[in-house]
Amino acid sequence: MKAVVCAADELAKGHMRPAKLGPFPIVVVRTPDGSLFALLDKCLHQGGPLSRGRLGATSAGSEDVDDYRFERSGEILRCPWHGYEYDVRDGHLLADPSRHLGTFTAREEDGNIIVER
Amino acid sequence: MAEVEKPNIIDVDIHERADTHDLLPHLDPKFRHYIEQAGWVPDRALPFAQLTVGGLDRADAKTPDGRPGGSDLGLMREQLLDEYDHEYGILTGWLNAGALHPGWSEFKTALMSAYNDWQIENWLDKEDRLVGSININPHDPQGAVREIERLASHPKMVQVMMYIGPSESAYGEPQYHPIYEAAERHGLVVSIHHSENSPTALGFHRYFIEWHTAVPQVFMSEAISLIFNGVFDKYPDLTVILVEGGFSYVPHLMWRADQQYRELYAEVPWVKRLPSDIIRAHMRFATQPVEEFTAEQFDQIVDQMGSDELICFSTDYPHWDFDSPLESLPADLSDDLKRKIFSENARKVYQRLPAPQAATT
Repeated sequence: MKAVVCAADELAKGHMRPAKLGPFPIVVVRTPDGSLFALLDKCLHQGGPLSRGRLGATSAGSEDVDDYRFERSGEILRCPWHGYEYDVRDGHLLADPSRHLGTFTAREEDGNIIVER
Repeated sequence: MAEVEKPNIIDVDIHERADTHDLLPHLDPKFRHYIEQAGWVPDRALPFAQLTVGGLDRADAKTPDGRPGGSDLGLMREQLLDEYDHEYGILTGWLNAGALHPGWSEFKTALMSAYNDWQIENWLDKEDRLVGSININPHDPQGAVREIERLASHPKMVQVMMYIGPSESAYGEPQYHPIYEAAERHGLVVSIHHSENSPTALGFHRYFIEWHTAVPQVFMSEAISLIFNGVFDKYPDLTVILVEGGFSYVPHLMWRADQQYRELYAEVPWVKRLPSDIIRAHMRFATQPVEEFTAEQFDQIVDQMGSDELICFSTDYPHWDFDSPLESLPADLSDDLKRKIFSENARKVYQRLPAPQAATT
C-alpha cells in the first residue's frame, strides 16, 4: 500500500500534515534535521487526531524539583486532547515506552513525499 | 479501519462558552458598566499554566478565528452532536457563580440571569438536541431560588447548576437547602460541577498534576456534606449528580461513610439510612474524566457500588480532558451496562428530558 502525500517542498522542517494511506489516517512529520516519519493519526488513548496537536519539545529528565529543561524540539508529537506525547522517530509513548503508535514508512520519491507500508 | 458501533448517547456535561460582553444585552443595566468599563472577568484561583496543547480546551475545538472551544454551535455540532449521534446533550455552562468568590453576590446573581437568557437564545432555541441548566448563584440562596422559579417552566431546562469554588461552605449546609427544595418541587436534578477554583483537601498543591489527580477529593467532601446534613432525608425526591470528578472513588466513599455512620450515627440522628443506600437512591456520577480501565476493573467498580444505575456518560466537550464516547470506556463492557451508562441511567433521573429521540444511524 502506497500513497502520495504532497510535493516534497510542501512540508517544511519542523512541521507535520495529515494524510491517508488506504483506510489509515496518517500524520507525516518532517523533523528539524529533514527526516520524514509517518505515524497513525490516532492517539492510543482515546483516538485524538494527533495532526491537530503540537510538534515540539519535551521536558528532559531531571534530578531536582524546579530543574526544567526542554529537549528534542520538533521530534515530539503531543495529542491535542489529553496531551499524550509520542516520539515521532519510533512512535513510542514517552510516559510508557512499552506502548507504541503504529508507524509507516515515509520518504521522498520523484519530488513527492510518499507513505507506504 | 472497522466502523465502531455508535451508542445512543445522553451526554450530561457539555460546555457552551460566552464572552462576558455577550451577556450585556441580557444583564441588568445597572451592572453593565462593570463589564463594559471596569473590565470585570471571572476570578481564577488556579495558579498554573496547563501543559496541554490547547490550554483548557481540546486544541482542535478552538474556532478558526481563535475563539475558545464551545463558542460556536456549528463546530459543536460537527465535533460532537453529529460526530457521535447524540440523542441529547446537557449544557453545563461556562460561567457559574458557585465557582467564584462568594462576595458581591447581587452582581453574580444578576449575571446568572443574564447567562441563562444568553444560553436559551443562543443554544437551546437553536438546537433540538441540546437541553439546558439553570445556572444559579448558590451563595445567594434567595436569589438562586428566584432564578429557579423564573426559569423552571422553560421546557428545555432539566437541572439546576452549581459549580464548586473557593467557598469554605460545603453544599449540604442549611443555607443552601432552599435551593434543593425548589429543585425538587420542579423535578429538576441538581448538578454539582468541578471548576478551576475548586480546591483539594490541601488547597491547590504545588503542581497542576497534583491538583488534577486530587479532583475527586472535593466531590467526596460535597457528597458527605449533602448526606450528613440530611439533604436527602429532607428532600426525598431530589437527585444530585456530581460532574467532572469521575466515579472510581465512589466505592471507597460508600464504605468509609457507612462505617462512620455505624460508629457515629448519634451525631446526625436526622440521617435515617446508611450513606451507601442514600447514594444509590439520590446521587449519580458523571463518567469524565475516566481512567483507563479494563472491562474487568470497570465491572468490579460497578459491582462494588451495588448498582449499575449510578454512572452517567459525559464528554466534557470541548475541554482538553474530553472523553470520547467511542474510546473512553472499555469496548468489551456488556451491552446492557453500556446502554445504561450511555443513556438509560440519565434518562431515568432527568425527569424533564423530552421523550426519547430515535438515533440517526
